[in-house]
Amino acid sequence: MVPPIILNMLSGLGVRLLVFALLVLLVFFLPRMLPGDPVEVFLSSDLSRNLTGAESAELRAQFGLSGNWPQQLAVYLWDLVRGDLGYSVPHAAPVSDLLKASIPWTLLLIACAAPIFLLAGAAGGIEAGKAPGAFFDRIATGVVTVIASIPPFTSAVLLLLAFGILWPVLPSGGSEPLFPSSNPIQRDFDIARHAVLPVLALSLHEISRFYFLARGEAITLSQRPFILNACGRGIKGWRLRTAYYGRSLFPVFLARMSDALTGLFGAVLFVEIVFSYPGTGHLIYNAILDRDYVLLQGAVIVMAGLVLLLNWVIDAVATSLARRG
Amino acid sequence: MLGYWSPITQSAGFISRGAIAASAVLVMAGFALSESLPSYKTSPDVLQAPSMEHWLGTNGIGQDVFVGLVRAAPITVFLALITATAALVLALAASSLAAFGGPRIRSAVLRLVDVLQVIPSILLLLLLAAWIQPGFLGLVVLLSLTGWHEDVRVALPILLRELTRENVHFARRMGASRRYCLRHHILPAIWPAIVGLFLQNVRQAALKTAGFGFLGLTDPRLLTWGSMIQDSMDYLYTEAWLWLLLPPAGALSLFLVGILIIGEGYMSNGNLNGKEHHDPR
Repeated sequence: MVPPIILNMLSGLGVRLLVFALLVLLVFFLPRMLPGDPVEVFLSSDLSRNLTGAESAELRAQFGLSGNWPQQLAVYLWDLVRGDLGYSVPHAAPVSDLLKASIPWTLLLIACAAPIFLLAGAAGGIEAGKAPGAFFDRIATGVVTVIASIPPFTSAVLLLLAFGILWPVLPSGGSEPLFPSSNPIQRDFDIARHAVLPVLALSLHEISRFYFLARGEAITLSQRPFILNACGRGIKGWRLRTAYYGRSLFPVFLARMSDALTGLFGAVLFVEIVFSYPGTGHLIYNAILDRDYVLLQGAVIVMAGLVLLLNWVIDAVATSLARRG
Repeated sequence: MLGYWSPITQSAGFISRGAIAASAVLVMAGFALSESLPSYKTSPDVLQAPSMEHWLGTNGIGQDVFVGLVRAAPITVFLALITATAALVLALAASSLAAFGGPRIRSAVLRLVDVLQVIPSILLLLLLAAWIQPGFLGLVVLLSLTGWHEDVRVALPILLRELTRENVHFARRMGASRRYCLRHHILPAIWPAIVGLFLQNVRQAALKTAGFGFLGLTDPRLLTWGSMIQDSMDYLYTEAWLWLLLPPAGALSLFLVGILIIGEGYMSNGNLNGKEHHDPR
């Protein structure tokens, strides 16, 4: 007998595999369905020279566009399985290498921002939800409402303006200085300095989501007998907030994390563009600007796979936690 | 038995109709007004500071920022309202299909919502937008098609709850037609939730369209506050950010705060689900 949790995980994996397959097909068919020839579209922006038939055919083969579409699809899928995502002409490098270089930066931003917005959101939300309508709740909810209404790119631009340009205490772009220091400690320090503003912008944007979630949960939790009992026994302060409220919030936060993941990757994109941070968002954006469709397709497929995988893991953990009640 | 003909629900319904009518009038007035404004044309006076002639200064190609702000207002607001409406209509259609269509159809709809839920929609939208550079209509189609499923998860349980209430059974027993039940029992009960969802959709749509404008992925002729913010990015290192960045960013944030505050009023009034429902994105 298979335990239900495993079944649940398998069906979750099935949905995600289906979505991933559909995305791969879409990425394959989209450029072929639209009017115009991809080779000509690609060349029209970069070259004006007319190509001979042989050159054109060679380019076609290089782009995987020779033969009818079942053959093309077979070639495409086989390349994908082997991890060959194509070759980016503007960057003069294989797409997989470009992605390998940029994914760690994006993950660094997310990994640094996640504890900040989760803890700050939980702490603020619990404090406000313990006594809704009290002084702290009114101030904090007001502030968070305003923060939630500033689009992610605007808050990032304002941060950049405040701490990068008007009062230049922090670097305004990139992930490290132009010439990284050879001293590893100095280099880590530089990387950390460059990450401060992007991480701040990202957490600022995500905080509101978890603040409101924690506040709503804390309001309901305050009515539950175990909290009333704890308050009656004189438990208060740090212990009440972490051991009683905080621990009960954990499954809810995890469940929301899996939904929020797509939004988080969207926000990272804007933050990286504003701060010229060399992560995947910046890479994708430049691919769009350069009309580098090979890179765009490869990056979208890999990032989608990453989001789906993370989302599946978080979902599975959240389900198993929720079953504990 | 007819508990939800309570004054609160009625007043919420009344306010919501009022708010929708008011916003429609405002959008129309905005379009009419922006036609009478001077055109948003380039001029040799580039990057002028605010003055009597140009109230909010001019941008890098000599366009008057104030004129742009006012001209972009109805487009930005209208875009958000239309997208929100389209997503809501899709969601309600799917919810009704699931609620009335029997268990097979219901599980199919829920499955579809599950699938849409895990799609990294931002990546998909980027990919599509990069190819087709959507204009007004394109944005409405793209954003409503990728945004409706979230509403089903809220609307379907509420619809099912109301359908199985005893007042509906009672009215049916007494010979009321389905149409009558829908109009007099179900619609009034779910109306506050629908309005709440609509307002949330408006925020989402406004944020997303602004984001696309900011990335420069929309049709370049489509003037929105988001695209005005994008214009200011090149002038952050000069003084011009004061009049290029702050007005559109402020207008956009004010609009979003306004919608959020109206929405808060509803959630506490209509008491959607009895639980806070918050998703600022």
